[in-house]
Amino acid sequence: MISPPKEYMRRIKPFSFLTEDELNILVENLDVEAYEKGTAIVRKGKQSNYIFLVFSGVVGLYDDDTLIDTVSKGEIFGILSAITGNPFSLSAVAMDDTICYRIKKEAFKKVFESNPKFSAFFSTFINRRFRSFTNLLKETEGAFQEEIYLTRVKEIVSKEPVVCKPDTTVEEAAKVMLERNVGSIVVVENGRPIGILTDHDLKKVLISGDKAAKVTEFMNSPVISVDEEQPVFEAYLTLINKGINYIVVVGDEGVKKVRGVITSKDILTQFEPSSSLIALYRKIRKANTIDELKNHLVGIRKAVAGLAIKGVHFYELSRMITSVYDSTVVSVIKIVEEEFKQKGIDLPDYVWIHVGSSGRKEQIIATDQDNCLIHDGDGEVMLEFAERVNEVLDYIGIPKCTANYMASNPKWNLTLDEWKDNFDRWFDSLTGENIRYLSVFLDLRPIYGDQKLYLALIDHVKKSVTNQAIRFLALDATSIEPPIGFFGIKGLEKGLDIKLYGIYPIANGVRVLALDNKILDTTNTKERIEILRDMGVLSEERAREILESYEFLQELRLKHQSISVSAGREGDNVIRLDDIDRIHAYVLKEALKIVSSFQNFIRGKYRIEGGF
Amino acid sequence: MNIREARFSVIDLETTGLNLLKDEILSIAIVPMRGTKILAGESYYTFVRPSNYDLKSMKIHGIDPKTIENAPKFSEIAEEIRKKIDDTIVVGHAIEIDVDFLKKAFKAQGIELKNKSIDIALLEKWLCDRLGDRKCTTDLSLDSLIKDYNLSVRFRHDALADAFLTAQIFQIQLLKLLKYGLTSLERVLSIIDSIKMTRIDFIF
Repeated sequence: MISPPKEYMRRIKPFSFLTEDELNILVENLDVEAYEKGTAIVRKGKQSNYIFLVFSGVVGLYDDDTLIDTVSKGEIFGILSAITGNPFSLSAVAMDDTICYRIKKEAFKKVFESNPKFSAFFSTFINRRFRSFTNLLKETEGAFQEEIYLTRVKEIVSKEPVVCKPDTTVEEAAKVMLERNVGSIVVVENGRPIGILTDHDLKKVLISGDKAAKVTEFMNSPVISVDEEQPVFEAYLTLINKGINYIVVVGDEGVKKVRGVITSKDILTQFEPSSSLIALYRKIRKANTIDELKNHLVGIRKAVAGLAIKGVHFYELSRMITSVYDSTVVSVIKIVEEEFKQKGIDLPDYVWIHVGSSGRKEQIIATDQDNCLIHDGDGEVMLEFAERVNEVLDYIGIPKCTANYMASNPKWNLTLDEWKDNFDRWFDSLTGENIRYLSVFLDLRPIYGDQKLYLALIDHVKKSVTNQAIRFLALDATSIEPPIGFFGIKGLEKGLDIKLYGIYPIANGVRVLALDNKILDTTNTKERIEILRDMGVLSEERAREILESYEFLQELRLKHQSISVSAGREGDNVIRLDDIDRIHAYVLKEALKIVSSFQNFIRGKYRIEGGF
Repeated sequence: MNIREARFSVIDLETTGLNLLKDEILSIAIVPMRGTKILAGESYYTFVRPSNYDLKSMKIHGIDPKTIENAPKFSEIAEEIRKKIDDTIVVGHAIEIDVDFLKKAFKAQGIELKNKSIDIALLEKWLCDRLGDRKCTTDLSLDSLIKDYNLSVRFRHDALADAFLTAQIFQIQLLKLLKYGLTSLERVLSIIDSIKMTRIDFIF
């Protein structure tokens, strides 16, 4: 028997967490009511026997005459009242012809209390714990498990098989294993694997055997193998069940020829989400030439996109990626330094600095170069040096900055005194252009070179910043407001730039507070928020809300771009209603409300009321 | 009576065919409504065992013959159904055929079915002509109405699902009538009657 309400609810989070029995309880206690535009559904201060799931139309939640929030298709209201038994704290009015699924509150409460995941979902919502909320969704999507089922064994066999004949001696086999740097060798007869000799077997030979003996005396036989077309998961199960370390991969047709050997470590590193980046990081650290770096960096965007889709959180992911990019830049600088040394050119003291989002350690997918340089000597030479570094970075896959915030730009390749003058001038004359420069160069982070130059500059900036400058920056940080209107997020159908309306307002507002409280040596937005919280500038509650919103917005953007990158397109920051499911749209709305409230806090703190 | 107080039974039948003389009911779905409210939790759905049936038509409906063999005969459930639909307006898509089948089945039990009925396809046609607030499709099939009312679902329909979707269409139609100022049930019924008199047969 097919019940449309059940099928409808089954597809909506968090009802999707429910068992068949729990869904049945809800459906047996469900009716569908239509409300004409303007009808009061529940009045403030009254009890309702139902919780409401909006099927179509829009419901406005009013505190007397003030519209507080709107609820539309796929969204739920009346839960708090159903759980606590308190009357409605707001009135619900149909703002358009509206159809609601109504579930009797006793039935809802019963299900709420019986299913911890279902109730956790609402609790995280009510308490605005977006991170646990995203975790909850990820758990159900189970990206990790899916992949281990979908990937076939042959896709993770990376090396040519190392094999020998049955009449090979143990000593010869050991030599081959050492040369090829493997822990096992497959003994093959007529193309077929008849046994495998592993490191473990060599230990046995060492203690009680004769290294001139044939491998057949010590090999494990028969061979435990897996067809190359099998899912990796099968191979993993076999390894665990048989208690072995190596499994031979064979072709799936005709003579089962040896294709390679895989270990449980091969499988785990493949499926542990961050492993690909860690491997990349190691390779970059070892690279000696520009072309090696280029080869390793190829595919980093796809690797990052993959991780984002798998559900690695923004804060963790950005930390990992910053390490990869930083060490790449350091390697390039060292290589270029060596080139100059070979040419007999002496370099003065200098420090290579990252600015903007790279300075904040927040670059992820759309990474480009944002750098500058402080030096203590010959400007001509340093310009030549920076040009070369920028060129090489571009060549290996970190594109040049379109706004030309680069050390090769004479404007951003200066002595300490020239930099100090820059900041003095910017603080003094707060034009639009200068405010833009401040928002880029106040997030500076030394990457390589003489820290003293950097520390001296930071010190100077802290001393020379004026209250007037801080107020101008505060005005700038609050000038673009998230478009939250009567009908939820305005223009979400057409698309909303979440970087412009969500991420920037937070990063910029936090920078203002950081500047005011002299915490410039920390550039990362999350770390700045935590310091501001510990200093008491931000309340625990507000700090937590901003952190959760910032991460949610960054993750939404990251996932959005990841999908583009995986499909071979350029990513953008524009989120459309069609791109995200209802529940994410709902959280987005909540996150933007927090942004809006944070802007009001900044306005109040710096006494900004529609300008000066 | 005001539409808001009226009781409706939205019905969908599956039959062995469309010939009233020889075909029989295979399943009955009833979704009750009170005014504009669909009482989904009180939905009723049953299979019916016909007195003569062959496997050929079973295939058409995708109903397992075993289910049919274990189903009650109409005579066993006639009273239960009569109670459910007594004093209600029967609503459905192309409801005339369903009503004819029900009448015949009840008659065999010595019960005369006197319920008035509303066909949502006829009502749709009238709403289109009168309100002109949306494109009047010449196609008034249930599938097409489901699509027009944004009620498309991704699962296969059975009689209960169809009855529920019919109820959802009827619910929105009622809202339109109310907005138009038409609140009297008698008036709506007379409109339906008048269309029946003048209608040119359309294809379902």
